[in-house]
Amino acid sequence: MPDDSAFISIRNLGWTYAATTRPAINDINVDIAQGEYVGIIGLNGAGKTTLGLCLNGIIPHMLMGEQTGTVSVAGLDPTELPVREMARMVGMVFDNPEFQMSQITAAEEVALGLENIGVPYAEMVPRIAAALELVGLTGFDERSPMALSGGQQQRLAIAATLVMKPTILFMDEPTSNLDPLGKEEVFEIALRLNKEEGLTVIVAEHEVEVLAQYADRILVLHEGELVLQGTPAEVFAQGARMTDLGLRVPQVTEFASALAGPGATGLPVTTDATLAWLEARA
Amino acid sequence: MQTMNVSITHVHGTSWLHRLSPLAKLTWVVAIMAFAFASYNPWPLFAIAILGLFAGLTAGILPQMGRVLLVFAPVTASMLVIQAIAPAICSSDCTPAVQLGPLTIYQEGISHGLSLMSRVLAMEVIAIAVLMTTHPSDLFSALARIHTPYVLNFMLAMTLQLIPVLQREVQIVLSAQRSRGMKSTGFGSLLPSFVPVFAGAFERVQQLSISLESRAFGSTGAKTSYRQISFGPIDKIVAVAGIVVGVLGTAAGLLLWSAGQTPVIILPVWLTVVIFVAAAIMFVGVIVIAVVTLARS
Amino acid sequence: MTATAPVVGHPSHVTDGPMIVVREARYVYPRGRVVALDGLSIDVPAGQIVGIAGQNGSGKTTLTKLLNGLLKPTSGSVTVNGMNTGDWPVQKMAAHVGYVFQNPNHQLFATTVEEELKFGPRNLGVPDEEIPERVAEAVEFFGLQDVLALHPYRISFPLRKLVGIASIFTMRPRVFILDEPTTGQDHRTTGVINRLITRLGERGDTVVCVSHDMPLLADVSERLLVMWNAQLIADGTPREVFSDREVMGRTHLTPPQITQLSLRIPSRAGRPAALSVDELVDDIRGVSPAAGA
Repeated sequence: MPDDSAFISIRNLGWTYAATTRPAINDINVDIAQGEYVGIIGLNGAGKTTLGLCLNGIIPHMLMGEQTGTVSVAGLDPTELPVREMARMVGMVFDNPEFQMSQITAAEEVALGLENIGVPYAEMVPRIAAALELVGLTGFDERSPMALSGGQQQRLAIAATLVMKPTILFMDEPTSNLDPLGKEEVFEIALRLNKEEGLTVIVAEHEVEVLAQYADRILVLHEGELVLQGTPAEVFAQGARMTDLGLRVPQVTEFASALAGPGATGLPVTTDATLAWLEARA
Repeated sequence: MQTMNVSITHVHGTSWLHRLSPLAKLTWVVAIMAFAFASYNPWPLFAIAILGLFAGLTAGILPQMGRVLLVFAPVTASMLVIQAIAPAICSSDCTPAVQLGPLTIYQEGISHGLSLMSRVLAMEVIAIAVLMTTHPSDLFSALARIHTPYVLNFMLAMTLQLIPVLQREVQIVLSAQRSRGMKSTGFGSLLPSFVPVFAGAFERVQQLSISLESRAFGSTGAKTSYRQISFGPIDKIVAVAGIVVGVLGTAAGLLLWSAGQTPVIILPVWLTVVIFVAAAIMFVGVIVIAVVTLARS
Repeated sequence: MTATAPVVGHPSHVTDGPMIVVREARYVYPRGRVVALDGLSIDVPAGQIVGIAGQNGSGKTTLTKLLNGLLKPTSGSVTVNGMNTGDWPVQKMAAHVGYVFQNPNHQLFATTVEEELKFGPRNLGVPDEEIPERVAEAVEFFGLQDVLALHPYRISFPLRKLVGIASIFTMRPRVFILDEPTTGQDHRTTGVINRLITRLGERGDTVVCVSHDMPLLADVSERLLVMWNAQLIADGTPREVFSDREVMGRTHLTPPQITQLSLRIPSRAGRPAALSVDELVDDIRGVSPAAGA
């Protein structure tokens, strides 16, 4: 039985897609507290997406394969509850903004989830307005999603999932297809949702510099296994390990590590921290 | 000839036709379609088409309607041209009306062609008028209101969204291939290049379905609707009028204006020639332009 | 142009002036009258690696499409390898400037990787006897030995990206245009692409690389252009451009983290920005040897 004391509790979780032999994820053990900002890093194919899909029940309900281990999300079991129930708990945002759009107007895109769960019209209107405001798209109601910029589409995708009032938001490489401005917008929203709205935010990303700055904890996936976890300072200090895994650490950490030499502790992971670190050494 | 693609897009406006409930407008579409199928006699249908154009005029969308009708004109014209020289209804005992070189234009042919044309024209006009004055979202909400299966409705709406996207993807693929030196020499050589477009569409549908599922798309319970359709007293009157017209029209079509009761339309020879030549020019001319455009692209 | 030199337009023609000459190039979209490029002039010498940065909609993609002739300038001129793009269809320009699209899926459609590599040269009219040599060269350069006989969609996405570039490589253009080669890729693939670009430059090819990946641009570009609002607002070395706070601020672009750090270290005030970790490490060690303990 999963340990219910953690908000999200993952025990020995494994998943092998149908018609494949190698597990996409294997023997993952991790607890995530409510309100945490967790970053997940790993090479493409390391299992980041698969892990996310296990949280809201898409795995195993919609995709075929074999699951081992257990997941507990806010005391609920995604393998037992239907996806439409988990959808009110866990919001999902994916890497291609345009591929998440299907409606004729932005307001309808946001309304879709509410329509699906049978929210009455009168309640829909303020919720949609609130969701659009949270992502900075007030006034975009009648715009066509397909005509929006990548960054705007991704923010709309976030609004479309936020409107269902999830307590957990999983974002799978949300900025990989966006320009620098779009990236900034999405990361700013993620931070605000975590700090101001108290959402548990889990972001799989390659942008280690941003994660180092905002994440409470980093999970490192490699070939389906959770090989490393800890605070950004703990994880990114292990430069040699990360290099072996084919991953980057923030440039400032690489820099500090080179200056300090092997075995150094307390390496900074943000620019501000590095400036302070340099001063302390001088 | 840049605008070979037809876009019957919603034209913004606040006319009476715009403000009419989509349910009322849909009623008229169904009514006219029934009428058109029932009636063989072209004159009532031409009258409907003219009334439809008049409605479009008062709604302020006549120029746009005209443009779309023009694009469909060659197809409509083709019916006349083909029937005129090879009528479907009289096989061996057709009455020649006039000889144009090697082509014989038959009396029954022109008559039958006019009938087919009038049917298509009446339906086109009403369909275009409704599509142009109704926001697509309202149209789909109306369909949902009359209990069109949710999934079907969704798929129709999705297809509408995807057409410009697929157009864009096709353009990108063509650009990529031209940038590799490919001179398009006909449709056959272009076809393999669309493998990427289909692969992309497949990937999109996969990701979209996961995204939708994650927003409770698979719910079986009662769904509510964000897009509210009004159906006030005026709309009800218009809808009822539509039903009445539809029922009466269909009845009249079957009883008064059926094929058996409609005499062959006999036009003066000069008029027959003019109509035929005009239709032929439209028909052939656009085929030529289409072929040339495809070959040159 | 002497009588004995290859004629402009012939695939083997090589200009002896700058490889790319853009004069007051302007591009306005026919419908909607949007000005995508507002009068740009630039010379790119042969063999230079040029990076282009800018937000989406800044005009950088329009510029690259003008360079290979996919778009013809509304006014002004674009000349690549002596060929004025206005005079030649894009298929003829393809022998001189190769455009690698961001999504390889938009390019690849053949049944094997090998067929994909042959497609370009065939279109250019390269004699059949010469094609195997070109394919072999590409296989060696890109490391495609193991995938030659495979279907392009059965290989991993990063490998497909390489095949996309390779299929342009076999056309032997003088100029390579790479549209967002590392966007969406992980660190490993980014490293492969990075080294590839450098090697192309070493061969003497002119490379134009559009990217959002600032560390990549810092690493491979000899020259960095910044587009904003349909205009070229910066043109210099990556060091110069990333140090320009005004340009970076206006365009909402962020220099690589290490560059930002180097600009903020008090003891380095007034010194040029660092473009890489190694650079800054050496610099710091040089400036204050005591800190390197």
